Amino acid sequence: MNNQSMMQNRNSEQLIDAYGARLSAWLDPSANQIPADVMERLRASRMQAIAKRRILKIETATSVFANNATATLGGDAHFGFWGRAASLVPLVALLVGLMGIGVLQENQRAQELAEVDTAILTDELPPNAYTDAGFAQFLKASARD
Amino acid sequence: MATEQELSDFLKSVEKRAFKRSMYHVRNEESALDIVQDSMMKLAEHYGHKSPEELPMLFQRILVNCTMDWFRRQKTQNALFSRMSDFESGNEDDNFNILEVLSQSANSEQNESAENQADRAQTLQQIEMAIQDLPARQREAFLMRYWEEMDVAETATAMGCSQGSVKTHCSRAVAALGKALIAKGIHV
Repeated sequence: MNNQSMMQNRNSEQLIDAYGARLSAWLDPSANQIPADVMERLRASRMQAIAKRRILKIETATSVFANNATATLGGDAHFGFWGRAASLVPLVALLVGLMGIGVLQENQRAQELAEVDTAILTDELPPNAYTDAGFAQFLKASARD
Repeated sequence: MATEQELSDFLKSVEKRAFKRSMYHVRNEESALDIVQDSMMKLAEHYGHKSPEELPMLFQRILVNCTMDWFRRQKTQNALFSRMSDFESGNEDDNFNILEVLSQSANSEQNESAENQADRAQTLQQIEMAIQDLPARQREAFLMRYWEEMDVAETATAMGCSQGSVKTHCSRAVAALGKALIAKGIHV
């Protein structure tokens, strides 16, 4: 880029900046013509922001005091070892619960099968059972044993 | 670290312009107030411990981000797409030579004419409307650079872009404003 074009660029930048500044000067009064209700809401927002900062400050101060005035750096200041361990309690409870449900269901199923077997064995044998080849085979095998 | 009073004074000094700036962007009083409130809360919450000198730049950056967040949240509105697409330069009219107009304007006696010929309030209204019609990034760059009187580097930091981009946004914004206002017979 030669000197002439650099000068031209600088001149055009100056012109643009000057026009921009003139235009924006027109906006200045508009910032002072804000309705009263909006001003009140802005004031309330400001107070809320300041109050939030105050709360954060108090919270920080309390935590330092609670740690015997020892400030420690760390991302997870609210949860120590026991805190983290405590957070695992619901998970452990869930696993224990699921295992308990599994055992109960298995017992219930075994109980049902036992009831069916008992009912079959204690029932009277129908006469036509002896005509069944399979049953005859079963009786022979049982006699051998 | 800024004291409570310093933080309060700072917020008081910027709240009006922050509100107006947000209004130019979102054109809705409630939303503009929400954006300013959000920005104030974030500044106090995350940067309340910073020194008073650092607060202006931080606040400008937060305000820009909150405004962009607002646009992102407007999922169902076409405004999102029309304005976000404006991040790229729009259709420029190459035949319009803003520099020529500006150099004439700088040397003419027309600077007074706006006041003499038309009501100041009406002129202000036209300027505000022209600013509202600018693409979002150009409007942001223009307002920070000229209204907030931030330099190019500060504006670039606040907008999260390069200094070259700021200059481009500003020059396009001024060209668009000049063209729009001159078309309405307003010579500033």
